[in-house]
Amino acid sequence: MREPPHRTGITGLAAVSALGRGAQAQLAGVLAGVAAFGPVRRFDVGGRKVTNAATLAGAGTLAEELTGVIRDACAGLTDAERARTPLVLGLHGHPDAGRSARATATVRYAAEVAARAGLAGVAKVYTCACVSGSTAIADAAAMIRAGRHGRVVVAAGYLVEPDQFALFDSGRALANDGAARPFSTGRSGLLLGDAVSAVVLEPGGDREVLAEVVGWGRAGDGCHAVRPDPAGRGMATAIGDALRRGGVSPAEVGYVNANASGAEGDSAEAAALRAVFGAAPVPVSSTKSVHGHGLEGSGLLELVVTVLAVAAGKLPVNAGHLGPDPACDVDLILDAPRRAATPYALTLNAAFGGANTALLVRAGS
Amino acid sequence: MTGLTGLSPLTVLAEASTPDGTAPPPLPGFVVSSFSPLVADVATRCLRARHGSAPVTAEAGARTAVVLVSGSGDVRMAEHVAAAVDAGTRIGPLLFFQAVPNSVAGHIAARWGLRGPVVCLCPVGEPRADGLAQARLLIDDGDADEVLVVLVEQAGAVETAHALLVSEGESR
Repeated sequence: MREPPHRTGITGLAAVSALGRGAQAQLAGVLAGVAAFGPVRRFDVGGRKVTNAATLAGAGTLAEELTGVIRDACAGLTDAERARTPLVLGLHGHPDAGRSARATATVRYAAEVAARAGLAGVAKVYTCACVSGSTAIADAAAMIRAGRHGRVVVAAGYLVEPDQFALFDSGRALANDGAARPFSTGRSGLLLGDAVSAVVLEPGGDREVLAEVVGWGRAGDGCHAVRPDPAGRGMATAIGDALRRGGVSPAEVGYVNANASGAEGDSAEAAALRAVFGAAPVPVSSTKSVHGHGLEGSGLLELVVTVLAVAAGKLPVNAGHLGPDPACDVDLILDAPRRAATPYALTLNAAFGGANTALLVRAGS
Repeated sequence: MTGLTGLSPLTVLAEASTPDGTAPPPLPGFVVSSFSPLVADVATRCLRARHGSAPVTAEAGARTAVVLVSGSGDVRMAEHVAAAVDAGTRIGPLLFFQAVPNSVAGHIAARWGLRGPVVCLCPVGEPRADGLAQARLLIDDGDADEVLVVLVEQAGAVETAHALLVSEGESR
C-alpha cells in the first residue's frame, strides 16, 4: 500500500537584511512599509549612475552572516541534531571569484559555512540567480514529501557588493529615483538589498511547525534569455503547479508576495496573476519595495517574510507606489497592511533564463 | 541530499561533448568569456541529435527542463568584471545578464522552446552524478519528462563541456 505523502514543515527560520537582524526585525520592517534604501557606503559607488541600495550597517562577511542565520534558525535543535542535518545553499558563487584563483572552489566555501554552523556538511549548492533559494526549497520539499530525506537546512544569501552593483548599474537595471516601485506607474528599475536567510525544513511530526510548505512549482518561460514572457505563462504554470500540489484553489490563497522588483517586466507577473486568479483577485505586494532585491538571497528572504506576515495575520504593503499602471492590474496592498483572510500564501520568484518558482505556504501547524 | 540510491538509472536519449580546448563558435550577445558559447554549442549539438532542428514540439518543450552544472562557474567573466571594478573602468552593458549561468540556459530554452524548470547547480560531488540526480528529482516530481543536463567547467587552462538529454525511458 502506498504511504501517504510526508508533510513539509518549517520549524525554524532566521534572516538578516537592511531591515535588521532576526525574524522580528523583518516582520516589523515590512509591516512598517518604510523602504530601507539609502546611499551605499559599503564600497565606492562614485563612478555609478545609481548610488542607492538597502544595506545593513555593520554587516559581516557573507560567510559570517550565513553562519549566523543558520545558527539562529537552528536554535531549536541540539548540537547532535545539527550535526546530522545537511545544508543546502543558494548563492552567486564564491564571494572572491574573479580576484583569487582559490575562490573557484565554491563548494569548499559552502562546506566551510556548514562546518562553522555545526551542520553535517553541504548537500547541494544552487547558483540559479534570483530563484536559487526558492528552487532549493521546492526541491527539498519534494524530497521530503517523497520520503527521500529528513531534516535539512536551506540557506541563501547575498550582500550588496561592488561587482554585481556595477553590472546592474551598467545594464541600467537600477531605479534612478532612489526607490523600487513594484507594479507602479513611473517605476524605473530595481534596487539591490542585503538578503541572508535560513530555514529549517523537516517532515512534519514531533516539532512545532511555524508553517508548512504545501505546494511548489518551477517552470521556464522558454521565451528569452533574460526577459520574462510578457504573457507570464511560465509563472502562471509555476503558480498552478504549486496550487495543484497543495490541493488549494486560487480562492483559498490570501496573499501573494510577488517577485515584482520595480522593473518593466513586472507586467509579466501581473499577467500571470490575472491568468490564475481571474475575476477573484488576491491581495498582492512585493516586499522588495522595502528590503530591495537580494538576488540569490531574495527567494528565501521573501519566504521568511511571507511566513511571518501570514502567521501574524497582517499583509505587508507594496511601498513606493506612485499610481496604477494599467499593465499591472492586480489588487495591490497600499497605504496600510491588510488582515490576512486565509492562512495560505504564495511567494513568487523569477530569474534570468525565464526561470519561475512559486512556493505555497500555510501558516501555523 | 540526492537520496536517490537504488532508483533505476535514467535513459540517455542523446549526448554531445566539446573536446577539451576546442573553441566554441561565437554566441551573439555573449561576449568576453567562452562559458556561455561552450554551453550553447554543446547543448545545441545534443538537442539536434535527438530532435533535429529547433524548436522541439510544443508538447515536448513543455515537459523539458534545463539543468546547468558547473563547479567553476564563469571564471573569465568574474575575472573581467572584478578587474574592471578594481580599475574603475567601464563595464559593458551586455555583461549585466551574462554574469549568471541562468542566462545561457534561458537562451537555449528560448531557442528550442523548452519550458520546463531551469536549474543551475554547483556540484557537490561528481558533476555528472549531481546533474543526473537533479534530473531524476525533476522527473520524479512531475515537472519534466526530459531533462537537458549541461556540464561545463572553466577552471584552469582547459575548458570542457558535455551535454546529455535524459528521460525515464525511451519516451518517443
